[in-house]
Amino acid sequence: MKIVAVTSCPTGIAHTYMAAEALEKAAKKMGHTIKVETQGSIGIENKISQKETSEADVVIFAADVAVKDEDRFSGKPILKVEVQKAIKNAAEVIKEAEAMVEK
Amino acid sequence: MLLNDEMICMDLDAKSKEDAIRQLAMIAADAGKLVSIEEYIESVLARERTYTTGVGNGIAIPHGKSKAVRETFIVFGKSGKGVEWEALDGKPVHLIFLLGVPEAADNEHLRILSQISRKLMNENFVEHLKKSKSKEEVLQAFKDFNGS
Repeated sequence: MKIVAVTSCPTGIAHTYMAAEALEKAAKKMGHTIKVETQGSIGIENKISQKETSEADVVIFAADVAVKDEDRFSGKPILKVEVQKAIKNAAEVIKEAEAMVEK
Repeated sequence: MLLNDEMICMDLDAKSKEDAIRQLAMIAADAGKLVSIEEYIESVLARERTYTTGVGNGIAIPHGKSKAVRETFIVFGKSGKGVEWEALDGKPVHLIFLLGVPEAADNEHLRILSQISRKLMNENFVEHLKKSKSKEEVLQAFKDFNGS
């Protein structure tokens, strides 16, 4: 499964990056490819391209603030979770994303 | 390097989350990183009220972005008996990373903080820190896991 994800949090200093790391680790462990864009205090990093979006099976937003340019992902199944959920239990988030794709 | 032995407290004895934040902020203030300690602490506590920075696994990463911060910093505190932090897993925290960022922080520093945040998701790195008994061991752990 191909996943693209965006992480974001209010201050954009810590949780954004912890969630990104957690999702990358969990997805790889579960045999998926993932690209995580971080929208933090540094700005947007590891930006997801149009091509990556169109090839993705599912989109994950682990964000507590509005995702920038959300309409890039319109038409795709989008799983929205709180950023802390991705930190606490990234495997569960990936499983929920799997379930969305299987439907 | 952002973290040095001046910015590490190996025997933090705090009664509460607020107490821990205050004690660690004091270290930053002593190192000249703060314009106003009270204003900085308030920014950190305001952040905590949004939701806890106790991310589980015995780790808390309180942080504040404020004009009360003169220069980007990180203070590391280790507590043997643990501090109650309303953490995501309900457990007390033993490793506390207090971060301070000025309103106009440069990206280089922010990037270092983001890398540290990512490292905290690395079980081996966290285990190393939990086992470390000296400031040297803590600094060594940060070096060993650089970029990982």
